[in-house]
Amino acid sequence: MEPLKYIGKRIPEIYAWAKVTGEAPFTDDLRLPGLLFGKILRSPHAHARIRSINTSRALELPGVVTVMTGTDTPGIKYVAQISDMYPLAIDKVRYVGDPVAAVAAETEEIAEEALALIEVDYEPLPAVFDPCEALLDGAPLIHEDRINNLVLNMKRDFGNVDEGFAQSDRVFEDQFSTQAVPHCNMEPRSSAAWKNPDGVLQIWTGTQSPYFVRKEVAHVCNLPISSVQVMEVHCGGGFGSRSKYCEDEGVTALLAIRSGRPVRITFTREEEMTTTRIRHPFILRIKTGVKLDGTLMAREMQVIVDKGAYCHYGPAVTGYAAGTAASSYRIPHFRFNGDIVYTNKQAGGPFRGFGAPQAIFAIESQLDEIAEVLGIDPLELRVKNANRSGDLTPCGWAITTCGLEECLEKVSQAINWKERQKGPKEGRYRQGKGLATAIHVSGSNVFPDGEFSAIELKMFIDGRVSVYKGSGDTGTWANTVITQIVAEELQLPMESIRLISMDTETTPQSLGSFASRVAFEDGNAAKMAAAQLKTFLLESAAAALQVSMDALFLQDGMIVYREDPSKTLSYGDSVFRSPRTVGHILTSAYHYVPPTVRLTPKGYANVSAAYAFSAQGAEVVVDTQTGEIQVKRLVVAQDVGKALNPIAVEGQIEGALAQGMGYALTEELIVDRTTGKVITDCLDRIMLPTAMDIPDESIFLVETQDPEGPYGAKGVGEIGLNPTAAAIANAIYDAVGFRPHKLPIKAEEVYFFLHPEKR
Amino acid sequence: MKHIRLQINGVWRTGWANPGQTLLDFLREELNCTEVKKGCGKGDCGACTVIMNGISIDSCLTLALQAEGAEIITAKGLGTKDNPHPLQEAFIEKGAFQCGFCTPGMILSAKALLDKNPKPNREEIRRGLSGNICRCTGYRKIEEAVASASERSSNQSDDRELKDQ
Repeated sequence: MEPLKYIGKRIPEIYAWAKVTGEAPFTDDLRLPGLLFGKILRSPHAHARIRSINTSRALELPGVVTVMTGTDTPGIKYVAQISDMYPLAIDKVRYVGDPVAAVAAETEEIAEEALALIEVDYEPLPAVFDPCEALLDGAPLIHEDRINNLVLNMKRDFGNVDEGFAQSDRVFEDQFSTQAVPHCNMEPRSSAAWKNPDGVLQIWTGTQSPYFVRKEVAHVCNLPISSVQVMEVHCGGGFGSRSKYCEDEGVTALLAIRSGRPVRITFTREEEMTTTRIRHPFILRIKTGVKLDGTLMAREMQVIVDKGAYCHYGPAVTGYAAGTAASSYRIPHFRFNGDIVYTNKQAGGPFRGFGAPQAIFAIESQLDEIAEVLGIDPLELRVKNANRSGDLTPCGWAITTCGLEECLEKVSQAINWKERQKGPKEGRYRQGKGLATAIHVSGSNVFPDGEFSAIELKMFIDGRVSVYKGSGDTGTWANTVITQIVAEELQLPMESIRLISMDTETTPQSLGSFASRVAFEDGNAAKMAAAQLKTFLLESAAAALQVSMDALFLQDGMIVYREDPSKTLSYGDSVFRSPRTVGHILTSAYHYVPPTVRLTPKGYANVSAAYAFSAQGAEVVVDTQTGEIQVKRLVVAQDVGKALNPIAVEGQIEGALAQGMGYALTEELIVDRTTGKVITDCLDRIMLPTAMDIPDESIFLVETQDPEGPYGAKGVGEIGLNPTAAAIANAIYDAVGFRPHKLPIKAEEVYFFLHPEKR
Repeated sequence: MKHIRLQINGVWRTGWANPGQTLLDFLREELNCTEVKKGCGKGDCGACTVIMNGISIDSCLTLALQAEGAEIITAKGLGTKDNPHPLQEAFIEKGAFQCGFCTPGMILSAKALLDKNPKPNREEIRRGLSGNICRCTGYRKIEEAVASASERSSNQSDDRELKDQ
């Protein structure tokens, strides 16, 4: 086999120059002729009935073009997983920030002024912010059709858990809780829309999944899907927040239709922090049965998911937490009970890891407890129970390749695990080390839209190629990696390839950029589409050169005869001559469907064609006088299958580590329990890691060459974040004996643990 | 409204500014300098960083009127594709960006740092970038890129010194 020329190479991003100059256009950078500025009026109440809305004063303000309330819209709710939210509230508001009315005006200032002139008569209702209280009889009902505010109860039962516990020597029960976190994408949400002269509603919005956006916008605007077009634009960070749809696109579209002009809504940072779909807080009860030798026998997990005011993709997130808990380490019996509960708060949604970081924090913290009680080294306990190639997990995940053991080996060596100081430590500053691991999908067959990716290639008579890719690129370098794959298959320089993505009118439909699926699934589609195009080129050249196809090979835009390298044909000439060429364009397309099974209502299925693994080690120093926690070092060994572009893969891991560290120690969306207002409404209050906070990091890429992945690759986007908080928590315990049961882990809790008399 | 005149990347530009308008909004909305990004509008994120009269500032915390007659440098003015700035080259080579939204501000903060301190150590680089938030990269590659640009620049100036001799 020829050595790879583009795959596995540290190739710069295809948008690099546009990004280092700032010229890569984000939605707010677009200059549409006659653009109006849209603004959303939001509820100041956590829970209230809308008695009436008077927009007449706002409409009289010069420069105001349109004022719109819920009753001015078609009155259709978003589809989501459970349809429960109007683009603009009609009957009730359910959290502080719920959209109530919208304005389009000639300037942003006028739009803002107009918001202040809209009079809304609210009848405030009692609100509930705690999911456990929301479940009680007599709690305020947030959606009248949901008894006890229960969105739904999710049960999973695999194997025979009771028997598993009966066969266990010891059973451990613990409770953990995790916090809400906003994604804090650097680009605040922005969407622009207009109805073009052909009557097509065109939308520009930074998204991971343009086809979800198209579906939802067409639905709430009561338009056929084919008359909505999502347009290509750069996206300033995704991390799940733009994974399906965001509610601003619907409002923008409705304003554009109503005003007959282009409209743009760009969120303020405060809106971005307080009204977008955040990471769900979980309360987790975990019960695990083990043999004295450390063999895991059974696991039961009960979670309460704080859903906030609307469902969005909460059930999918909860289901994935269950899948993760069933599949982390070999465990024969597994049971799960999840209550997804409405509260009068900002709603949760997808966030990198999709429920896995919550579950893993509980699993990995408890695993260290088990190791200590049984007197087994935490590393040995993990290796003993680690997933292995060929395993079938209780929920049906079929693991083809698994590098977890090697990952654990690499991490433990790098942090000198075996030589670590054991037992009580002394002095003001105490060091500790901790381990945690993760398993993660490469695409996930759980949505009714199906699980597939499609890529279309067009080669022109100048020998250049355009790649049409339906999913977005939120900055993950996904479009670069897809371009590398096409370059490799066609032996064509990167510069000769142009990639067009997420234009729903021209790109074939793909599910989207989430579930760590793009490099894997779009990658396979690209590889196969390119392989087919290669065959077309060879076929045409063989006829022209009157030699057999087998005797030809591709080289940098030329098709060369092996026996006599002076006999060549350019790609362009081959396109020109091919009988398959239509209008001087040679087209090839591939619709890739991974060998997976759609998730059943009982939660059993092999939802992904490959599973990635990660082991992480954390080294911390705790100041016993202040409780302050400093992460000194993070070590990661990740089974990436094959690193298609090592810079991109490292970038995904490094970025995930920073988010994982923030998740562990600082980031928390705090809501005032009397008013329901978000207190941490700006970047200054959410405490994201800065360049000053990043510890030393070592990253090892373990290449297991997955048989289904393109060139052996697996997904890498999310898994880097999943075990980080757990590894840090375990390191804190190792340092000072404090077992964190709650994220984020606060210095004051460590302090009060060490100085109980000061509490 | 006041008519103001200022130099952007070496070119004199004029436009109308409201008394309360920030330099950021003036640059983006009046002069279409969309390479200057608005991440928060409160001075928390650094995405709107520009260099004004040699000093890096948050353009969201500066009034447009304060920029009358000023020399402003944005990321677009640092280099050309054929003759890129060492920081641009280093950011590209090290892969020091993902979504690219914070990148223009990050590069300008790095430039301000290197202009003052051409050979910063790791701690100085981190401090120099601490006002710019990046949610994608985890900063490691950014730090490497700034260190690499610092080496590149000093090599280039060494070359020039050799030629001068």
